[in-house]
Order: sequence, then structure tokens, then C-alpha cells
Amino acid sequence: MLGLFFKKERQLERLIYDYLENLGSIQSQFVKAMDICLEEGLCDEFCFLMEQTHKFESKADDLREEINELMYSRALIPESREDIMFLLESMDRIPGSLELILNIINTQKIIIPEFIRLDIRELIRVSMETCDLMARQVDVMLKKRVGVRSLLSNIDQNESHCDHIERRIIVKIFESDIDPFLKLQLKEMALAMGEISDEADRVSKRVNIINLKRRV
Amino acid sequence: MWSLLGGVFLGWSLGANDAANVFGSAVSSRMIKFWAAALLAALFVLLGALSEGRAGIETLQGLTSLTLKQAVISSVAAALTVTIMTFLKLPVSTSQAVVGAILGMGFYNRELDLSGLAKVIICWFGTPIGGLIIAALLYKIMAAVYNRAGIDLFASDMLLRISLVIVGSYAAYALGANNVANVTAVFVGAGTLTVFSAALIGGLSIGLGILTGSRRVMETVGRRLVRLDPFSALVVVLAEAVTVHLYTMVGVPVSTSQALIGAVIGVGLIKGIKTVSRRTLDNILTGWFLTPVVACSIAAALYFAVNLQYVPEG
Repeated sequence: MLGLFFKKERQLERLIYDYLENLGSIQSQFVKAMDICLEEGLCDEFCFLMEQTHKFESKADDLREEINELMYSRALIPESREDIMFLLESMDRIPGSLELILNIINTQKIIIPEFIRLDIRELIRVSMETCDLMARQVDVMLKKRVGVRSLLSNIDQNESHCDHIERRIIVKIFESDIDPFLKLQLKEMALAMGEISDEADRVSKRVNIINLKRRV
Repeated sequence: MWSLLGGVFLGWSLGANDAANVFGSAVSSRMIKFWAAALLAALFVLLGALSEGRAGIETLQGLTSLTLKQAVISSVAAALTVTIMTFLKLPVSTSQAVVGAILGMGFYNRELDLSGLAKVIICWFGTPIGGLIIAALLYKIMAAVYNRAGIDLFASDMLLRISLVIVGSYAAYALGANNVANVTAVFVGAGTLTVFSAALIGGLSIGLGILTGSRRVMETVGRRLVRLDPFSALVVVLAEAVTVHLYTMVGVPVSTSQALIGAVIGVGLIKGIKTVSRRTLDNILTGWFLTPVVACSIAAALYFAVNLQYVPEG
């Protein structure tokens, strides 16, 4: 019934869900690209998947712009407008981080050494799981409100797990006897990978605050 | 007809100033366009004045009997008081100014309905306290329902916006029903207007004030309320409307601003936050005491001046 009068709000809701779906697509392209990179190194398929990731990342930017424009045209009350805007701003850093990792690997022609591959796989798996949890938390916050806090704690646990893996990878890199220049390149890549769960954790904390604010 | 001008001006300034108390939060936060809010407010003020304005008009005209000259003087004195207090940046209640001015005339006539006056003064004390209690109760009840309803963010957003418009319209209705007596009751007492025509002219002049003079006040003064979250702002406006409407049923014109401030304090008490500064409270108290005194003095002085006669020596 309310939807009849509030078309902008319903359109906004649809766009936010499109954004979350697009984030899932970016993640899946990123995971495929990293699998190829870990199994076959840099190849045409990796470049194709990197290109795909970039396309989805651009789409995320477009969606965010569209959402902001819609909100500026008086959709939502100012307080919700501000919350959604900051939420998208912090969520939008994740596609950027994923694209950055692929760019680092591609431009610096990094071949990931065997002794850290398992850890890298683990770091990517947990980071993607954290992003999925974050997207679910956003959905819960938009819809039901109940369950946001338990997801916050799961995301927090995952983030600390990722920090441990990231540290372990860096220690392994510097304990190995590979070329010192490669060590620095790998460290930069590991730090960028660790950043994914940090960003998801930041979004999760913001979602929790928005949810708390909505309780009266 | 010209004798009504003082009352019409009073109604205009009442509409221009008090519209912010009903739609200020919705307009200044751009939830509703000014013109939509102003039209709704003007319409509901008129509806309120015509359907429930009678009781307040009868109370005020019963305080003392006035001649047409005294009615004009008291409405001009009330209008001057409102202007002076606004110039001094003190919160002013039109109801108190009007009653103060009528009292000034009553002292001259040596005729005052003390029981009616006592009822009015008790209600003045009761307005902010009523606003406070009603806001606290409403907040508790509405928050419990709202939190349990578990509605999604978008639906809750839409609900708040619609509610602010509905509650704002109800507050405008209560404003018209309650405050129309301030504008034209003295002319009913003087026999110039019937109760119906007084409600009609009073409602129209308040509506005119809303449409032509409230924009700046709504867009700026209304922001005081937006510092509250939208849900609290909704409760505050609803509590103000219920308080004013209750006094309308009793038949006593009261100040919507005082009801509003009481409601803001009530919501603050429930939420455990300080919503009104000490300085604002001091200003309200000063305005509360000064307004009837100033209006009474101005009305008495004007009446004295108008009745001065030149007596040649020898």
C-alpha cells in the first residue's frame, strides 16, 4: 500500500539490493581470477577475469551514483539518507580493494610462491566469507533488524582470523630466501588481501550503529 | 469592520509564528515541501477553528464584558505585546498576551470572572507539564510498538514521513481549535461578531499568517526540533497536539510553544538526554511571567490614553 505513494523509496531499495548482488558478482570474479593465478599463474584467462572484475567494479560505482542521486531527490528522511550514504561509501571500498589486488598481481607480474599458496587460499576464502556475512548483515539490517549483532560478532571473528593468516603469510615471506624485491611485492599483496576483511569489519560496525540508532 | 484589524493582525502573526510548531520539523528537514505543509496547516487550522473553536471563545469573552472600543484596544495591546516580546527574542504566548490585555480592561471595568480566570491560569501552568507527561507516556507506548513491529528500514521511513504529515495536520487542527479564541473572542464579547463568524475570521487570519508569513520560521526555527531523531520529533508534535486539544475541550486557549517545549523535555527525560538548555528554560520562564503583565499594562495604558480629555482651564 505504502509502495504506491513512495516509488522513490522502493526504487532505492531495489538499487541497494542490486548493489549487494553486484558485490557478490565482483567477489565471484575475483575468486575465479585468484584460483587461476594460484594454479596457472598469469595468463589470458586471468586477464579476462580481471577485466570482468573491473567492469563489475565500475557498475558498483554507477549504482552508488544512482542511489545518491535518488536520495538527493528527497527519497528517505534525512537521517536514513545519511546512514545509507555512509554505508555505501564504506562498502564501496571492498570492490576497490579486490580490483587493487588483481592489479598488483598483473602489473608487477607476481608469481605466488608455493610455500604461501595454501595460506593465500585460506585468506581469500575467509575474506570472501566475511564479505558474504557483511552483505547478509546489511540485508538483515534493512529488513528485520534482529540478528545484526550476532553477525557483527561473526564478522569480527573472521576479521581477526584474517589478521592472523595475513601475519603468518608475511612472516613466511620474510623467513624465506626468495629475492628481497619479490618479498616486498608479496608483502604488499598480502597486506592488500588483509584489507578486505578490515573493510568488511568497518562496514559491519557501521551497520550495527545504524541498527542501534533505529531502536527508539 | 476596521475594528477587527487588530484581531486579524494578531491572527496573522500567530499563524506566521506557530506554524513552525506543527510542521517545522517536517519542512526544515525537507520531508514535505513548504507549500504542501502550509496549505495543509491553513486548511486544518480553519477546520479546527470552525468545529471546536467555540469553547475557547466563550471562555475568553466571559472573563469580562467589553465595549467595542475596549475589544479593539485589547487586541491591539496583545498584538503589540507579541511584537515587543518577539523583538526582545523572548518566547511569547499569544494566549497569555490576549488574556493579559483582557485583564487590563477588566481592571478598568472592575469586573472580572475570577473563577474563569483561575481556570485559565491553572491551564497555563498545566500546559508545559501536560506536554511533558503526555510526551513521556506516548514515547513509552509508541516506542514499544515500534520496536516490536520489526518493520523494515524503508517501510519505517515511509511510516515516519506519513505520520509526521498526519500528526502535523492534527496539530494544526488543535492549534486552530484552541487559539482562534485569542484572535476574535474579544469581539464576540463586544457584540461585534457571532461565535461562528469569530471562528471563521480567526481561522482565516491564522491561515493567512501560515500561508504568507511562516516560511522563514518553519525553515529555520523548525530546525530546533530536527536535532531530535525523527521518531522523537513525531512524538513531540503528537504530544503537543494532544495537550493543546485537551485544553481546547476544557475551553482554555494555551500556548502551543509551551506545550511543545514541555513535550521536548518529556522525550528528553525518557531518553536520558538533555533536550533543552538552561538558557532556553530561563527565557521561557521570563516570557511566561512577562507576557501577561506587559499585555495588561499596555492595554491599561492605551485605554487611559484613548480616554484622555482636554479640559480647558478657567
